[in-house]
Amino acid sequence: MKTPLLATAVAVTLVLAGCGSGSSSGEVRLRMIESLTSPDRTKLIKKLIADFEEANPGIEVELISPPLDSADQKILQILQTRKDLDVLEVRDHTAKSFSNNGWLAELPTTGWAGWSDLTELAQKKAVEVGGKPYLIPYGFYQRTLFYRTDWGMSRPPATWQELYEAGKKMTTGDRFGYSFRGGKGGADYAVMMISAYNGDKLDPEKSFFLKDKSTVFSTPEAAEALELFVKIFKETSPPDSVSWGFPEMVQGFTSGVTGMLIQDPEVIKSVEESGVTSWSTAPIPKGPTGYAFQPVGYAGWGATSFSEHPKEAVKLVQFLSEAEQSIAFAKGNSLIPISKQAQNDPQFSQGAWKAYLEAQEDPRQVITIRPVDYPGWSQFTVDSDRDIQALITGKKTVAEVLESWDAFWTDQAKKVS
Amino acid sequence: MSTARTPAGRAFTLRRARFILLCLLPGAVFVALFTYYPMIRGAVIAFQRYNLFDLTSTPFTGFENFRAVLAEDRFWTALRNTGTWVVVSLIFQFFLGFGLALLLRGHFRGRGLYQAWVFFPWAMSGFLIGLLWRWMFNGQFGVINDLLLKAGLIDERIGFLATPGWAMTSVIVANIWYGVTFFAIMIMAALQSVPRDLYEAASVDGASRLRQFWHVTLPHIRPTLALIVLLRIIWILNFPDLIYSMTGGGPAGSTDIITTFLIQQVIGGDYGRAGAVGLLVLGLLLAFSVFYLNATRFEKAR
Repeated sequence: MKTPLLATAVAVTLVLAGCGSGSSSGEVRLRMIESLTSPDRTKLIKKLIADFEEANPGIEVELISPPLDSADQKILQILQTRKDLDVLEVRDHTAKSFSNNGWLAELPTTGWAGWSDLTELAQKKAVEVGGKPYLIPYGFYQRTLFYRTDWGMSRPPATWQELYEAGKKMTTGDRFGYSFRGGKGGADYAVMMISAYNGDKLDPEKSFFLKDKSTVFSTPEAAEALELFVKIFKETSPPDSVSWGFPEMVQGFTSGVTGMLIQDPEVIKSVEESGVTSWSTAPIPKGPTGYAFQPVGYAGWGATSFSEHPKEAVKLVQFLSEAEQSIAFAKGNSLIPISKQAQNDPQFSQGAWKAYLEAQEDPRQVITIRPVDYPGWSQFTVDSDRDIQALITGKKTVAEVLESWDAFWTDQAKKVS
Repeated sequence: MSTARTPAGRAFTLRRARFILLCLLPGAVFVALFTYYPMIRGAVIAFQRYNLFDLTSTPFTGFENFRAVLAEDRFWTALRNTGTWVVVSLIFQFFLGFGLALLLRGHFRGRGLYQAWVFFPWAMSGFLIGLLWRWMFNGQFGVINDLLLKAGLIDERIGFLATPGWAMTSVIVANIWYGVTFFAIMIMAALQSVPRDLYEAASVDGASRLRQFWHVTLPHIRPTLALIVLLRIIWILNFPDLIYSMTGGGPAGSTDIITTFLIQQVIGGDYGRAGAVGLLVLGLLLAFSVFYLNATRFEKAR
């Protein structure tokens, strides 16, 4: 009676152990993980993968789609084991730590026709971290101003001061001028205004610093900007927006509570599907000296340094980054495309997208690089949002906030140089 | 053979012991690998400079992380908030759960179905519940404001998640809703363990309903109650999900509890500090549990 039990235990152990090793046929099996998961997007990626498999018989791709909120943590965990992953989605703020830790493979740019088809911006961003192409962006996010055309505004505000004045006029009763962001990500908007107010003194390559190496938070212009930021909240925005993040801001605009919204192109789709009909877009407002600065958000595909099939992994990344696939992906996700050929595509030169072209052609709408490669970046994103909430609820003053941000980044500058 | 009875018996037990150990092994390995290893690793990280930004150099720094955490005002704010969060949530969850359990004890039609519905929230993810409540409490388009307005109870919308006092109230309300069912389940199970004949004897002696409850029901389920309350205190403290998805600790840290503070350290990339906060929470709970168990035992001995 004892022996069969033992035998069963052994058998179970063997079966459990066997599960890990998987079946080994002659095929190459790539494992790929995405980060910004959403049902529609996953469907689109799967379709692109199917096209890839068809074009490359003998390669099979397995896609892992972790839920959005915990995706980057999960990717990190897998990377730490250095196993069983070939292709991955790298985001602008994960690129540095992934490459620092040696998890990303350098992607070849020569001998691939697709490289020369990438826009200048895409090529620049591909090598932004560490000077080597650790990822190929699949598209860009950039903010634009969405505004109601039926709420008494003849033209969109060109400056933050005009936005404030226009917003004040719109604010009556249950209606407000501006979809303010006070919750997660709110500090980003404060930084955007502060940058605009600093004007051409700012160093776009290290956008939290001026050309004279002091921080953007140290100037009187910064204080001016932040004062106006608070006024925009108090006089033109819903009081509830202290806690608003992305979904509430968008909901505010699409449900007709607010008249202006500054957001990414993916919102175009949401607004089109909402009941709001009279609306348009414009480039983001500028500061008093006529400059506007904003970073361009991006994410892309990369290959792991420990992949057992490096050649095939690179092939998949290149396939996804070629004109046909990347334009389809940009269209499906409302992204600014990476392919030069997209400029001829009517979807990207009409309607709501026109504001992006306009911004691209304006030399005073400057794209910046945020100091994501400084050790304190992640900490700052957490702390600064909290400071902004303290500021607009009156727990901190403009001077206090700017002083602490200035101290933080002065200290960071010392750590990097 | 018969003379060697004792040694044979010993050999048998030895073999048996080995067999038992072998059978326990998979379980032990699992627990060691998935519970104790991460725990110990986390504890070690608390004494290292372990920042996600650069994992190639993670030197030991002694109590540096603890010093940094304890020097932060936010930590102490979070600790104070944790007190409010746990105590207020617990009191309401306990009494409402108790009441619900007493109601569900009686026999009525559809009781099984009703029980299942009541217990449903307990099966849902905390993050999901947080998202639902976040929209319901929204100051501009939330259903709670709409209802209050239509009922004429308020004249102006309340920014529930935007004003510090209201934000704490809101997350606690959501937590109470979520936790009542746990108490209801556990207390109902405890109630069913009270022998029926005790009530019969009590009613023969002429005890009123209230006296029966006080002198029969309560003493019987008290040990269970003590344990449930302890478990619940630990769980509420370790339950940042709701707060995190409703307010993210805001506005300006007014709903931060110690575990959302910990999450923020993780997101900030500083695993060392996060580990330190984790150890502090562990120490706090351990001290509390010892104190609490001693206190309740004392009561029982009386």
